[in-house]
Amino acid sequence: MNNNILEIKHLKTYFFTSRGVVKAVDGVGFSLRKGQNLCLVGESGCGKTTIALSILRLIDSPPGKIIGGEVWYHGEDLLHSSGKRLRQIRGNQIAMIFQDPQSSLNPVFTVGDQVAEQIKLHLGLKRKQAMERASYLMEQVGIPRARERMKDYPHQFSGGMKQRVMIAAALSCNPEILIADEPTTALDTTIKAQILDIFRDLKQNRDMSILFITHDLGTVASIADRIIVMYGGRIAEAGTAFDIFDQPQHPYTQGLIACLPDISAQRDRLTPIPGMIPSLINPPVGCIFNPRCERRLPICSKEIPPEVFISGEHLVVCHLYSPLASPQDRREGINNVD
Amino acid sequence: MMRQVSNKVGGLRNLIFIGVLLVLILILLSDIYLVDQILEPLEYFYLFFAAVAIFYGIYPLYANRRLTKYYWQRIKKHRLSVIGLAFITFLIVVALIGPIFTQDPTKVNFAEKNVPPVGFTVQQFVYDLQAEEFVVQEIPGTWQHPLGTDDKGRDMLAMLVSGARVSLQVGLLAVLIAVFIGTIMGVVSAYFGGVADMVLMRFTDIMMTFPFFLLLVFIIFIFGPSLVFIILVIGLTSWTGTARLVRSEALSLRTREFIMASKSLGASDTRIVFRHLIPNVISVVIVIATLSIPGVIVAEAALSFIGLGDPTVTSWGVVLNAGQRSLDTAWWVAVEPGIILFLTVLAFNFLGDGIRDAFDPRSQL
Repeated sequence: MNNNILEIKHLKTYFFTSRGVVKAVDGVGFSLRKGQNLCLVGESGCGKTTIALSILRLIDSPPGKIIGGEVWYHGEDLLHSSGKRLRQIRGNQIAMIFQDPQSSLNPVFTVGDQVAEQIKLHLGLKRKQAMERASYLMEQVGIPRARERMKDYPHQFSGGMKQRVMIAAALSCNPEILIADEPTTALDTTIKAQILDIFRDLKQNRDMSILFITHDLGTVASIADRIIVMYGGRIAEAGTAFDIFDQPQHPYTQGLIACLPDISAQRDRLTPIPGMIPSLINPPVGCIFNPRCERRLPICSKEIPPEVFISGEHLVVCHLYSPLASPQDRREGINNVD
Repeated sequence: MMRQVSNKVGGLRNLIFIGVLLVLILILLSDIYLVDQILEPLEYFYLFFAAVAIFYGIYPLYANRRLTKYYWQRIKKHRLSVIGLAFITFLIVVALIGPIFTQDPTKVNFAEKNVPPVGFTVQQFVYDLQAEEFVVQEIPGTWQHPLGTDDKGRDMLAMLVSGARVSLQVGLLAVLIAVFIGTIMGVVSAYFGGVADMVLMRFTDIMMTFPFFLLLVFIIFIFGPSLVFIILVIGLTSWTGTARLVRSEALSLRTREFIMASKSLGASDTRIVFRHLIPNVISVVIVIATLSIPGVIVAEAALSFIGLGDPTVTSWGVVLNAGQRSLDTAWWVAVEPGIILFLTVLAFNFLGDGIRDAFDPRSQL
């Protein structure tokens, strides 16, 4: 169906802990197009990483379990694929990069060995050819003297270099989709910019689809084609970078944008969103954001808001735009800005 | 096809190793079911030991020369462990080629009984046939028997050299078996968790409470005393400590991101266990192995001492037992094996400490 290469529908992933059921992802659906850079944004614990791990079925079970939903990839529901099929897809067609490059590499093998490992596994190349390809890939992601540095161990690399190695390993089999789980969070700003350049280059020159997970709105603004803002395991708002940054409609997104430091405005303090992240074991009834929302309607604490497209592809999940709320309430809520 | 299989077990090296094991098992089966005796029981252990040593000891050390050099440098700073290593190397050389040069350790010669070591002289009451009475005779140590002889005139040096062979056999082979089982048990139990962990660890608990001594007495009662059974029983009952330590180490490793990362890049469970977990716990395993060798050597000596050992081999325990009976007339028979046993155990402990410090990145050497 059209050019969506990955479609996720009603994904629900729960963690069954001793304190109760954590609804980490509760009915999330979106699709990823060919060559698109889709960003998942949200604060810690809103389910971004859980979505990424659910796509590749890497949720540790127990305690985690994918309760329901569908993940369609080339006419195949990955949630029902066999373990063998999944291993073929992982790394080969859908690759993933993790947040902390310090611990993502096995300390007892050389870096080159680890990049070559996937190449040998998926492409069936011999060791020599695999090493050849590994050094080419490492050069591509900007590791100087890659041929010599391949023989080094991970502890001889800096954080940024390790992340480059991880990217090289993920790219080794030319995957169609690259899932990057906060790849720049553990890096400092200059390195971050360089890594983001690699991602931009991947999209432009290889037409790769990227699912980029981050909590950093600045990063998102510079690379995203489409942004999904998540809150408490659900989607709050989705749209283009323009939609989200210039016309945010969901009160949560508006709050997020409001607490970004602005270089042009003279402000002493940032504007935080009041309240705490809700517990996902006993989430608030209705809209999960309602206890913190400044424009709460009576219906917000009763019904879960439906997904409403307000213009083109701009999706808002809020009662201010839902047909469930009474028109008068909605008008008051929308006009109630400041 | 070959590539797929080798990928499954984590590399060509593991595949070749499994192949070697299969060949060994095949020979063993044909040994049991066909009449011809192809190999001696102990030779299977040697071949197994050699295979493990080549594939997982010598080859990795050679392949990672830089790392080997680095560890050697760290061990070198630990002087006692270098002395220990030198002593063990000396002992291995003696055990390997010593028996060629020494006399037959089982040759009994009552004409030369209770001869003291070189440099000592003892007085003995000897019945003089001509005078028909007991006379006091001075017996000096001779170079014929540099360490003296026991009450049956057997050469002490020959017996100790033969004992070194037995002790090292038991120590190395039994520990190898124990460590082999323990590592796989621990890693599998930690990695798969859940029911597998429960079953394996409860089994470990049961094995821990199992009196290995009783098992040994039982097996000796059925099959007769033999060094092979002693090695097997010690090996098959003493893996529990290793399994627990390896499990706790692997538990912390499995939550590390590189395990998840290699999973996300399509690695199978077997591959992760063999290629990512085991290489990371191997330093712990080496330390446990070195530190448990002395215990096993002492266990074998104790068994021989109380008479449960293999009567066809001369181990240090057997000599100790003989010496204890003639402690009043020939002190050296008990003292010499005691000193050697003491030094060997000490050497392995020092080496183990050195290796532990060298492998522990937190220790400042």
